[in-house]
Amino acid sequence: MKFNLFTYIAYILLFGLFLAPNVMAQEMNLRDYRMRFRFKTVKQPDQSRMLEASFIAANKKDRKDRLPVYGAEISFFNILEEEKVALGTTKTSKEGIARILLPKDQSYLRDEEGKVTLKAVFEGTDEMDMEEREITVKDVQLSVELSEKDSVQTVQVNAHTLDSLGVAIPLEEADVIISVQGMLSRMVMDEGTLEDGMYEYKMPIDLPGDMDGNMTVFATIEDHEDYGDVVQKKTVKWEVTNISNQENKNHLWSEVAPIWMYVVLTILLAGIWANFAYTISNLFKIKKEGQKLEQSL
Amino acid sequence: MDIALRKKELVKEFSPMMLKPGKWSKIWIAILLALILGGLVAFVVQVTQGQEVTGMRDNVVWGIYTINFIFFLCLSYSGAFASGVLHFFNTPWKNAVSRIVEIITVVSLIVGPIFIILCMARLDRLHYLFIYPRIQSPITWDVIAITTDLIGCLLYLYLTFIPDFAILRDNSEGLPKWRKKLYTSLAIGYRDTPSQRRRLHKITKIMSAMVIALAIITYSVLAWIFSLTLQPGWNSTIFAPYFIVAGLYSGVGVIIIAMYLIRKYFKLDHYIRKAHFLSAGVILLITALLYGYFTFSEYFARWFSHKTHDANLLDTLFNDYFWMFILANYIGILVPIAIVFFKKLRTIKTITFAAVIAVVGLWFNRYLIVVPTQETPYLPIQDTRPEFVHYSATWVEWALSFAGVAAFVLFFMLLMRLVPIIPMSGIIDYEKKGKARRKGLTQQQQP
Repeated sequence: MKFNLFTYIAYILLFGLFLAPNVMAQEMNLRDYRMRFRFKTVKQPDQSRMLEASFIAANKKDRKDRLPVYGAEISFFNILEEEKVALGTTKTSKEGIARILLPKDQSYLRDEEGKVTLKAVFEGTDEMDMEEREITVKDVQLSVELSEKDSVQTVQVNAHTLDSLGVAIPLEEADVIISVQGMLSRMVMDEGTLEDGMYEYKMPIDLPGDMDGNMTVFATIEDHEDYGDVVQKKTVKWEVTNISNQENKNHLWSEVAPIWMYVVLTILLAGIWANFAYTISNLFKIKKEGQKLEQSL
Repeated sequence: MDIALRKKELVKEFSPMMLKPGKWSKIWIAILLALILGGLVAFVVQVTQGQEVTGMRDNVVWGIYTINFIFFLCLSYSGAFASGVLHFFNTPWKNAVSRIVEIITVVSLIVGPIFIILCMARLDRLHYLFIYPRIQSPITWDVIAITTDLIGCLLYLYLTFIPDFAILRDNSEGLPKWRKKLYTSLAIGYRDTPSQRRRLHKITKIMSAMVIALAIITYSVLAWIFSLTLQPGWNSTIFAPYFIVAGLYSGVGVIIIAMYLIRKYFKLDHYIRKAHFLSAGVILLITALLYGYFTFSEYFARWFSHKTHDANLLDTLFNDYFWMFILANYIGILVPIAIVFFKKLRTIKTITFAAVIAVVGLWFNRYLIVVPTQETPYLPIQDTRPEFVHYSATWVEWALSFAGVAAFVLFFMLLMRLVPIIPMSGIIDYEKKGKARRKGLTQQQQP
């Protein structure tokens, strides 16, 4: 009986050793961190809309110490005054990001100006407080036109909104970024401001495309207070030289050496060996003369 | 001058060093053989257990074998260069050093390539180099150049030996029978007739020019093995001339050391005089200045361009290899310069000391060229064991290295037993010329 009691105590202590430090650490950590809950919407090139909430715990003392909140359940809504439509629910990834994609034919509750209010909500847990963010955006029609005029490759970006009667209203004073798709990320080519709903940019002619010479050009409105994020893209075959696919002309990596190398090496070796042969032939002559002298003696 | 009598006298004078190995000589040979035997044991261990027994790993694939290979080749190159120059320009003091230089050339050219063979993990595929050569590869150029250079140097060495073989053949009283036979066959019937002399002189002069060219080509090719790669620290346009100057520097150093030891051991003070050391010291000074200039230029350009990988390499050199860097590139250059520059400091012993410092510094300089570059590659291997990244030679490598040095000294000693270390024919020529000059002067003074 006594033995059993000691065994139980030992088990409890061991269990406590494994568990306690982690619990303490978690409690302490949470007090040191400030929750950063962010929400944005991106209108995609195919007219669908992505809702993205990021949930990061940032250390109050150490700015570099940022921990993504993993597995937090985020609900997305479309609201208009008292009305509330659930758009979907998802959990944050290991990067602390929760995303849902709304199809292009999704119907939204809009106010009189045609604006859509979207909301992301984290309900909270025993340890973590509730978080919510709300954004209001107006739907923007963004288009990219790629044309070649007098051998000048031109990107034309057009952007407008639609009023309640369906009349297009050109965007004013909105910043737009022109970029091209690279292997790993997009390369920014130009940043400008839309005037009368239009912006034009002359592309450089020395950009490599993909294997087939295709280039994908992006026009992006980023983090705009009225329109949120809007992205549009277009691919064109501008036949630019793809540098990475150029044939490597380093002859030393080829299967056969360049002819000049054979010629130089042959001349060098022939010259040297001819001298060796000449020397050896002279040695034989010396030997022959020596033999004659010996015979005469 | 009775030439036949003089030849007899010279053979008598040099016979003891060729025939009777003294007590110290025997001890030396025993030590050298023990070192070579140790090397053979290490070689068997390496062949049976593989390259794993060496310090060479994924990052550093060229260790002290390669360093020794470069070092010995540079001795050979500088020996060939010096010997070629001495013969080609018929330098007055060539008799004292020419044979030493010629033997150094050939022996180091035999020992050096053995080290590169030790570096190969698959010796069974060695013949592939000749069956499937890639003409565009500097390794193939190296194989061709070294083979051609070796044949050329052996031929040249033989040409310079012929008159002495003939003298030894004609004055072989008291020599063992096998030696008589050997000298007779090696002398190829040379009787020093005017036509034989003219012919031999002509081909020796041609070959002396040839070995200079061959040495420059061979050592440049060796430098290109490094400089034609894009590795930081190796990819340099001045590497070939830098290697040649460095080779000359260390070669002159080894020649001075050999002169000192031979002079002291065989008591040849009247043949190898202080004037010879002073002349060699001046050459050592000039090559030290040139070598220092090239070294500074090489590192200065890398430091000033401040390319990331060059900066990393310099960082490694100035941190991990600090003392070696100081020894190789400061002490190894400045101390010999300081010793030989001041007239008051120029004695036989100090010049020899400067030569020892130069040779040791040069060996460490080769180490700094070969190893740190491989330890700082373009694509660092992550999460690997430190011993895979950083190189340190194992006992097997050291045993084989010392065996190589021992083989070099032993071959040198054996060749010294075959022919006199001071060419007898050269002494006779020198004395004949001196007599003719004196005769000429006397005739001029007479009315």
